[in-house]
Amino acid sequence: MDDGGRRARIMAAVTKHDAGGAADAGELIQRLCWFAVNEMALSGCALVLMSGADSSSMLAGAGRHAQTVTGLQMELGEGPCLQAYNSGVPVLLPDLSAENANRWPTFAAAALAVGVHAEFSLPLSVRPGGIGTLDLCRDTPGMLSGEQLADAMVAADIARDAVLYQQYVPGDPDLAGLLATVGTDRIVVHQATGMIAAQLDETTSNALARLRAAAFASGRSMYDLAQDVVQRRIRFDE
Amino acid sequence: MSELGGPSARPDDSGPDSRRDDAARDSVLARAFVRLADTLASDFDVVDFLQSLSADSVEIVGAEAAGVMLADARGGLRLIASSDERMRLLELFELQGAQGPCLDAFSSGQAVQANAADSRSRWPVFAPHAADAGFQMMCAVPLRIRTDVIGALNLFRGTDTPFTGAEMDLAQAMAEVAAIGLTQERALRERSLLAGQLQVALNSRVVIEQAKGMLAEYLHMTMDQAFTLLRTYARDHNRKLSELAGDIAGRKISSAALIQRPGQGR
Repeated sequence: MDDGGRRARIMAAVTKHDAGGAADAGELIQRLCWFAVNEMALSGCALVLMSGADSSSMLAGAGRHAQTVTGLQMELGEGPCLQAYNSGVPVLLPDLSAENANRWPTFAAAALAVGVHAEFSLPLSVRPGGIGTLDLCRDTPGMLSGEQLADAMVAADIARDAVLYQQYVPGDPDLAGLLATVGTDRIVVHQATGMIAAQLDETTSNALARLRAAAFASGRSMYDLAQDVVQRRIRFDE
Repeated sequence: MSELGGPSARPDDSGPDSRRDDAARDSVLARAFVRLADTLASDFDVVDFLQSLSADSVEIVGAEAAGVMLADARGGLRLIASSDERMRLLELFELQGAQGPCLDAFSSGQAVQANAADSRSRWPVFAPHAADAGFQMMCAVPLRIRTDVIGALNLFRGTDTPFTGAEMDLAQAMAEVAAIGLTQERALRERSLLAGQLQVALNSRVVIEQAKGMLAEYLHMTMDQAFTLLRTYARDHNRKLSELAGDIAGRKISSAALIQRPGQGR
């Protein structure tokens, strides 16, 4: 099937329940995630917006592992979504247990520990960069079929265009609301990063790396540790 | 106006020369289509693309010169590319005099062909310029995106040999290649612009929070106080909040500078 036909079929699948007119963009990307979960036997699908390696947020998701993989990568600062975003090339990991000793041993181990066995990350690419990724994961190992992969790539393009072209549409409060909340779950992390940078007289990216390392070493989440920094219970210069 | 197999047509059209011409033409066509794929590359330049397409059209259609005009935002035509300097000047005359084959193809959406005599009666202001430049046959085909005409491709010959039906078809095919390239390029450029805005919006939230944290630490204040200070300073100094925050997080401005009164030094 060519891309045009594929696009038409997927659009029909995610808009067929609408009585009058197209779904708004927020609803559309949510349905794309459900479509992917159902059609590709996934345990999770997430549409993640990113801006630089320090900031990412799930815009829509479906399945029990939707938030898992994104959250892990932000905690660890490594993983397939970050690579797909930075390189603009899909990252396909059909068996994370085989990845253990490879590119992302820490990420692979953490993902396996919560039951994710395969992860596929497709960039929402826009020349020359990108705006995020469409992440698919499974609780069993195995490669996506060629058809599924082609569908997923077209779904990523549809989601990308929905976000891009409707980000400022006044009549789409749903997406505007979603975009307004992007990254709010990380606010305290960014505030703590600024404080740590001041305490150590370091750059903000080094400060973020210090926060991430400290969280990993203590087995706590970055969010929890950042709360302690912002509440002035922990300092990094002591 | 176009005659198939005019007096100057070669008597042996199926000879080895003709086959060689066909092969050469095919390879130029193939090259034009390969260039289309370049519209996806990050350093794609629309003027370069149309410039090459003009040169390719000259070879494929069998003309001496070619040029591309595109409609601007107000619907007026502008010269974008031409195969040589003589053509560039001639097309400027065409635009200045507001008459000529390109303008007719653009306004009618139809292919246009004219010899020297036709052009004198149709475009009295333009025709002498074409004759001075040494052109006797001219044709133009519209550039279309779906039903919208977005410009025209002009082709000129120094001889009075008419463009055959097949050559006009080739010219139209080249115009379609140009239109596809332009459509792709516009969509890509638009996306890239929108993505840039989105990234700036997302990044500015990050740096604003980081700057708040930095101010809170250096100046011993709460996050709310830090934000009020940031906002007040930005307003008083007529700066964008996100840019000021970026300067603070990147230490281009020291946090202390935000609480200094004017005259207290820097």
